[in-house]
Amino acid sequence: MQSAAMLSFDAIALDTLAALDEEALDTLPFGVVGLSSEGNVEVYNATEAKLAGLPRDTVVGTHYFSVTAQCMNNFMVAQRLEDEAEIDATIDYVLTLRMRPTPVRLRLLKARRMERRFILIDR
Amino acid sequence: MATDIETENTALLQFLYACPAGLVEFSAAGVIGMINPAAMGLLLPMAGRPFVANLFDVFEGCAPELRNMVQQFAAPQGTICEGHRIITGRGARSSVLACSVSKLTEDRYVATLSDVTEQVARERRLKQAETWFASLLDGIDDVAVLSIDATGCIDAAMPSATRQTGFAETELVGRCFAAFDRPDRASATLQPGEAIAVARRDGWHLHEGWHALADGGRYWCQRLIALRHPSDGVAQGFAMILRAVTRQHRDAADLRRMLTRDHLTGASNRAHFFETAERQILRSLRDGTPLALVLLDVDLFKRVNDEHGHAAGDAVLREVARRCEAGLRPEDLFARLGGEEFVALMPEASLSAASVVAERLRASLAAQQMEAGGIPLRITASFGCSALGGGITSLADLLAAADGALYVAKRTGRDRVVASDPGQAAA
Repeated sequence: MQSAAMLSFDAIALDTLAALDEEALDTLPFGVVGLSSEGNVEVYNATEAKLAGLPRDTVVGTHYFSVTAQCMNNFMVAQRLEDEAEIDATIDYVLTLRMRPTPVRLRLLKARRMERRFILIDR
Repeated sequence: MATDIETENTALLQFLYACPAGLVEFSAAGVIGMINPAAMGLLLPMAGRPFVANLFDVFEGCAPELRNMVQQFAAPQGTICEGHRIITGRGARSSVLACSVSKLTEDRYVATLSDVTEQVARERRLKQAETWFASLLDGIDDVAVLSIDATGCIDAAMPSATRQTGFAETELVGRCFAAFDRPDRASATLQPGEAIAVARRDGWHLHEGWHALADGGRYWCQRLIALRHPSDGVAQGFAMILRAVTRQHRDAADLRRMLTRDHLTGASNRAHFFETAERQILRSLRDGTPLALVLLDVDLFKRVNDEHGHAAGDAVLREVARRCEAGLRPEDLFARLGGEEFVALMPEASLSAASVVAERLRASLAAQQMEAGGIPLRITASFGCSALGGGITSLADLLAAADGALYVAKRTGRDRVVASDPGQAAA
């Protein structure tokens, strides 16, 4: 069992995240979105589903930046995930969760050794 | 198991998340209540910081008129604007948004936003063609036909031309067609030879403006210059067709004022400034004449708004614009760039000449208090000056250099004029 500190928004490592099963991901207190290299949603945890107001099964399989998160489809988020080979960056951002402007922190995670990339959302 | 209402709720949310047009709901003070991702995607780069809470704040820099339009809309509900064009950013990085605003109640408004940058470029060209088709459909009677040679000299005038302008054929033939233009400050001015060059390149050129009458007066007309297809492949003459526009001159002047003036201060607006400045800079670079730019920013303006309200702030901006325009020459272009920032483009002026003028403007603001809703306020502004040359070769360069100087003026105590260092221009 991992310690709570290791599973925090700021500390959790990409490999830890990738190893967690669906149930464990759902217990995390922040949003987790995992994307394929084409940008399709593969992981969408319970916290994120609750924040966005969208059940997991309606989001998984869709193209994240065109269907659900147009406001991240820019040079600050989508373009960075596309262009940079390795990222572990935390940025201040504002999302429109359930159409409310909501200040959040985003953590972008991507590594050469792994196809899947992650966006963590802490509000 | 999700209930019907939950399922519908999800579908509605997905619809709003995926909507390609931006939607914003906001209060009379501009505070954003609801906003969809497309709108946030458009506003975030404009805000320049990762927090967007007030629509008017975001637009303060590029469309300050929006707040005035909302506040001046007296009806209890209705459409405030439809497809209002907002130019964001500067120079090459600028994009155009179309914004529509509806008032629902005294404190509830909905706006739609979409990026129409590419559409605008296409439209400009289409509009010209449309104007021409409209003139064909509207009757041939008030159309005057002339023939001009490859150099722009009138070589023949049909009776329709003498009837419309009052000039005899002998007064027209042999003279350059442009000699009959009567441009004023509000109408777009063309560079010499521009109409002929475009007509040669594209086959046609359309222009709308004042044209001389024999009695010394002028009339507003649409002018088409069309390349005549040479039968021998050499002749490069043009047909020129003038169409008197019959609508009231006053309406046309109002329309032009609306398109080129800032709603609040009456100074030129951003769109007009960027269009005219680009043209002026090309002309100065081509002719090797000097050109200077002065950027000015009202000091501690936020404090005026916070302490005395937006109405006082608006009165201050109007007075700043009035005093500055009074201190500039008619050929200088004075515009509100956004918020409390103004710019003056000064043809034929060197950096030192512009600094002298800026110092005079600074003194005219500082010397006398301003009346803002019955409250006398002491208002000052900081000035940054730049000029073409020494690595400064574009509007973006001029603005960046003046911005740098303005920053120094602010940092070293405000209420002062700083000229950019020509040696550091490229930095």
